[in-house]
Amino acid sequence: MSEQTTVSGMNNWFARPLAMWHAFMHAASIRGSEAGDAGPRTSAVEEQFEEMRETWLASMAKWAEFAQDPLHGKVPTPDELREMFSPASWTAPGKGALDAALKGFLEGPRYATLFDFDRKLLELQQGTLQLDREVAAYQAVMQKAWTLAFERFAKAITAGAGDGTWTWRALTNQWLATANETLIEVQRSDDFLQAQRRMLRAASDRRLQERRVAEAWCEATHVPTRSEVDELQRQVVELRRELRLLKRALQTSPHDTPTNTDARTARASALRARPGAKRSRA
Amino acid sequence: MPSKRKSAAGQAIAELDDLHFKLARGQRLLQRLKDDEVKIATADKEVVFREDKTTLYRYKPTAPRRTVDVPVLVAYGQVGRYTMTDLQEDRSLLRNLLALGVDVYAVDWGSPTRGDRWLTFEDYVDVYLADCVEHICRAHDVPAINLLGICEGGVFSLCFAALYPARVKNLILTITPVDFHQDQAEGRPGHGFINLWTRSLTDEDIEQLIEAHGNLPGELMSHVFSQMTPGATMSKYNVGLLDTFDDEKKLLNFLRMEKWLADRPHHPGEAAKQLLINLYKNNELVRGEFRLGDRRVDLGAVTAPILNVYAKDDHIIPPKTTQALKGLVGTRDYTEIGLDGGHVGVFVSGKSQGVLGKGIVDWLRGR
Repeated sequence: MSEQTTVSGMNNWFARPLAMWHAFMHAASIRGSEAGDAGPRTSAVEEQFEEMRETWLASMAKWAEFAQDPLHGKVPTPDELREMFSPASWTAPGKGALDAALKGFLEGPRYATLFDFDRKLLELQQGTLQLDREVAAYQAVMQKAWTLAFERFAKAITAGAGDGTWTWRALTNQWLATANETLIEVQRSDDFLQAQRRMLRAASDRRLQERRVAEAWCEATHVPTRSEVDELQRQVVELRRELRLLKRALQTSPHDTPTNTDARTARASALRARPGAKRSRA
Repeated sequence: MPSKRKSAAGQAIAELDDLHFKLARGQRLLQRLKDDEVKIATADKEVVFREDKTTLYRYKPTAPRRTVDVPVLVAYGQVGRYTMTDLQEDRSLLRNLLALGVDVYAVDWGSPTRGDRWLTFEDYVDVYLADCVEHICRAHDVPAINLLGICEGGVFSLCFAALYPARVKNLILTITPVDFHQDQAEGRPGHGFINLWTRSLTDEDIEQLIEAHGNLPGELMSHVFSQMTPGATMSKYNVGLLDTFDDEKKLLNFLRMEKWLADRPHHPGEAAKQLLINLYKNNELVRGEFRLGDRRVDLGAVTAPILNVYAKDDHIIPPKTTQALKGLVGTRDYTEIGLDGGHVGVFVSGKSQGVLGKGIVDWLRGR
């Protein structure tokens, strides 16, 4: 089916109901009735009804014209239409309508006071779908590896069948050796390294999206967040670091040598000279 | 009278019978054993110094007389725990050193939590390790100690020796990576996976990982190590365990290794970034670009005699990554020893017992 056929078909889809409404409103009109065609309007109510009818007709025409516009932009192809209605695309992560809707919302305009938490939840949902995709891709690489290992094992068994007998131990050892060699070889391939990298990255990103959702809840319920505690710990560690180095610079040791005394003094001076550095009172 | 050769069916039945008997024996052993009986790191020691989560142990001497005047401080890394150096009575570098008359200290970095995510290499080298060294120097009234670094602990020790050369009398490095890009130099397919893996990650991937978890999770490193030996990983809990059922000592050794492997602390986040980005990816140590704070680690400043020990079949720290140290240090007293075995095998295998300890002590005696 060509795009042109599709467009004209869609146009008919809107034109036909519109014609039906026109006919309906004409039939329902006082002016349109057999009795009313030749006669004048009889009352104010009838006049108002007539106005409503005309307003309604104009509105229908306007909406019908508006609805037809997108048809001249991106027109779904028959394959896309098929995929839209395919149950498989609703369940698997990928190019389904759900992913498209998520993407549309998350990439769309942002509002100052609307939908912030919803956006975080949807980002987490998107992250989960992405992780599923990367795990599936990694498993596909591993599946190939296992298949290759089994092919090699089968060949080895066939080739090495000397007297036709294999003990269970010899078979096990042969399988382990073959699988070991094959998996090590696959681990060094770019496909594997990139699949594992993407999977790890998707897992990290998702975990951080989870944190953003959790922190939104924490802020609403007056609970310190992970980021706040991390920041606090960072400040404590930096302060302790400065304190230790300053204390050390002030201490003397019977085994002080020019090398380590100079190093300690130099570091302590550098610390004191830093903007915002606190003077130690310890 | 020669035994009659069994038919294929007879052989199969005999094998099946052996297998069942082995399984039954193993089941009985496992039912009898309690987790409390599986102990590691049992050499007698006392806590002599603590700082935050870092603990310094001094081991009780076992030899009638001291053969090395200056104490040895054993510094493990943060990927795994120091307890591997004292796995069991007959598989213990620490006990071997003690038996040879060495005064032994060991540092335990503790179990980092989220609160430790901001600790850096500088904190471990300049603060915790340095303070342990200071404690030993004061306790023994010596200006410098013998420092023995293992794996990442060797990197800490190397940095310490470069920044505080006066505090290190002799430096012993074991399975210590120096040039992180020499992993494929020997062309051995099973070697250097961590190097390949980290080079495949972008800096942002590593930063996101650390940001998401705070630290480098111990479980993640366990998984990476398992990946490196897929055959052994697949067979450990079936064929591997089965092989120990004939011998209770073997089973206990297996269970002790399991106990050590299960104890995989997290690696503090900022230090992990330095390890993975500055060292593994950018190889800054060997290029003289690695910085601790505002100081550059210059390997040329290491003037102490060095004993550099590597494992010939080390798939985690391939030998060439260790041997690269030779031309970079400032000392002329540089000795290399290559031992048979793998990364952990040189410490815990039955064959290697005594070899490493004796090699270290013989080398120290002359210095």
